[in-house]
Amino acid sequence: MTGATQAAAARRAPRRTARLFVLLALLALAAGCAALVAGRALPASGVWEVLRGGGDPTSRHIVLNLRLPRALVALVAGASLGLAGTVLQSALRNPLAGPEVTGVTPGAVLGAVAATGLGFAGWHSPAAVVVAAGLGGFAGAGLLWLLAGRERGDPAQTAVYGVLVSAVLSGLTAVVLLVAPGELGSVVQWLVGSTEGRVWPHWRLLWPWAAVWAAATYALAAPLTLLRCGDEQAAAAGVHTGRARIAALVCAVALTAGAVSVVGALGFVGLLVPHLAFALLGADLRTVLPGAALLGAVVVCGADAGAQGLSQGLAHALDSDRLSVPVGAVTTCAGAVLLLIVARRRVDDR
Amino acid sequence: MTPTAPRAQGTVQIRGLRFGYPGREVLSGVDMDVEPGELVALVGLNGCGKSTLLRLSAGLLRPAAGRVLLDGDDMAGLSRRAAARRVALLHQSAPPVPGMTVRQLVRQGRYAARGPLGMLRDGDDAVCARAMADVDVTAWADRPVDSLSGGERQRVRLAMALAQDTRVLLLDEPTTYLDLRHQLEVLQTVARLRAERGLTVLMVLHDLGHAARFADRILALRDGRVAADGPPDEVVTPGLLAEVLGVAGRVGRDPVGGWPVCYPDHPLPAPQDLVK
Repeated sequence: MTGATQAAAARRAPRRTARLFVLLALLALAAGCAALVAGRALPASGVWEVLRGGGDPTSRHIVLNLRLPRALVALVAGASLGLAGTVLQSALRNPLAGPEVTGVTPGAVLGAVAATGLGFAGWHSPAAVVVAAGLGGFAGAGLLWLLAGRERGDPAQTAVYGVLVSAVLSGLTAVVLLVAPGELGSVVQWLVGSTEGRVWPHWRLLWPWAAVWAAATYALAAPLTLLRCGDEQAAAAGVHTGRARIAALVCAVALTAGAVSVVGALGFVGLLVPHLAFALLGADLRTVLPGAALLGAVVVCGADAGAQGLSQGLAHALDSDRLSVPVGAVTTCAGAVLLLIVARRRVDDR
Repeated sequence: MTPTAPRAQGTVQIRGLRFGYPGREVLSGVDMDVEPGELVALVGLNGCGKSTLLRLSAGLLRPAAGRVLLDGDDMAGLSRRAAARRVALLHQSAPPVPGMTVRQLVRQGRYAARGPLGMLRDGDDAVCARAMADVDVTAWADRPVDSLSGGERQRVRLAMALAQDTRVLLLDEPTTYLDLRHQLEVLQTVARLRAERGLTVLMVLHDLGHAARFADRILALRDGRVAADGPPDEVVTPGLLAEVLGVAGRVGRDPVGGWPVCYPDHPLPAPQDLVK
């Protein structure tokens, strides 16, 4: 390679990254718009009229008080899960890590469900749910940490223990549901993950929490990049690996707990978004983290719009007006397919 | 801007160093001094404590007893980052990092100097460019590290260690997995940098011939103790081959360079085998 083409390559790399970010931001915007338009009660033209300042009171209520907060919550929850997964995969240097499979999400669900079942919290007291989900998330991650013991460094072993921990926590959640069926309807939404009925109070709770932890996560970009280079290399370069890993895990649990407490356990988002982000943006967490946040937002909000479209189609086909597909069902199904592709590619790489 | 104090010379003093894991003592009292600008080769059998000695010298492990002094400062009193500003350690191997380019990996060497928040901004390009030029990897700056061959990758990792801009450079078997040509390439680069910058270099080598050729001094470890310590001419003898490396053989001279050359013959029965 000559000096000139080399310099050109060096200039091209940031430009390509910038273009990708613009594309991702546009996609997030498109997903947000799709989520605003999707739904039965109001056609796209009505939404446009409300956004231009017109529309009748009912339309205004639907768009401004129901659809807008729901879309915003989906975007921020998706960003949180994308970030949490990227942090987990980097800190544990484990491509099979994600909040869903490291006990964080099932722990957070257990926390939220238990607190609701026992009457400490509910949809009416969202702050208490965040706290409960956070405690549960930490308990889940801690349980995995203890169980994995000396095998923590082994991705495959940790994944096995992660599945075990997740199964135990889901079992406990089922027990809580049987013993204290309380607000069963809303609890089921937590189990699958849903943005149904998320309103401004949820948004006001979620965004500051997500913003604070996202900032904390970004501050860890450099040690996380080095942790991906292996503990020995990171330590030799000056990273206190133990402290950096714990700080990263705290951020990941906090971000997951925030998302889970508001939209429930959205399957596969935190596990798969990081793979996309790393494949698109390389290895420097300074660009991968914002990319993963945008991708997560696109995926969850897009899936939400897709789920609503699907609900509409199904309702039409089955001639039933009370049918809604939760967004978690869409992310889980789409995620399972993507996971297969990722797994196939990893096998091919060998 | 160099974070090291002006008195930083690169003197390494090791005093009564002991280290072990439960049930197994790895180092049982090691004393050694490395002068500024000296190139010292550590030799010994697998498991004799060479790599452990390097890790202790870099402050990555805490000694059970004894001290590692760097220009008079106890490594035990330094934070991880402060230690990495003064000593760079190149490990034997590193896991692959998908998608990381040469430039990005070398840049990671600046972590100790800049800290987690300082690393968020760009900068220090001059230091990284010099480190890449030092080992002649500038041409691959934007290629993924994974796409390089073993020898090329080892040079890139050496550049990352050089980007730490330290006086002391520790190398743990820098020539493992490399063919002869690339082994010599890496060793010659290290020798040249030592000569140009006055770096203090302590490196673990398996090949006694390389040690005799490139080092000012050879330090032989056996069972966690210093078994021999001196210039190659004095240390490399049939006795060293037998006692430290467990092989019978002869020692000659390179007809042109004059450094000692080993002609290993056959392995000797290990002492513990004799006991059985």
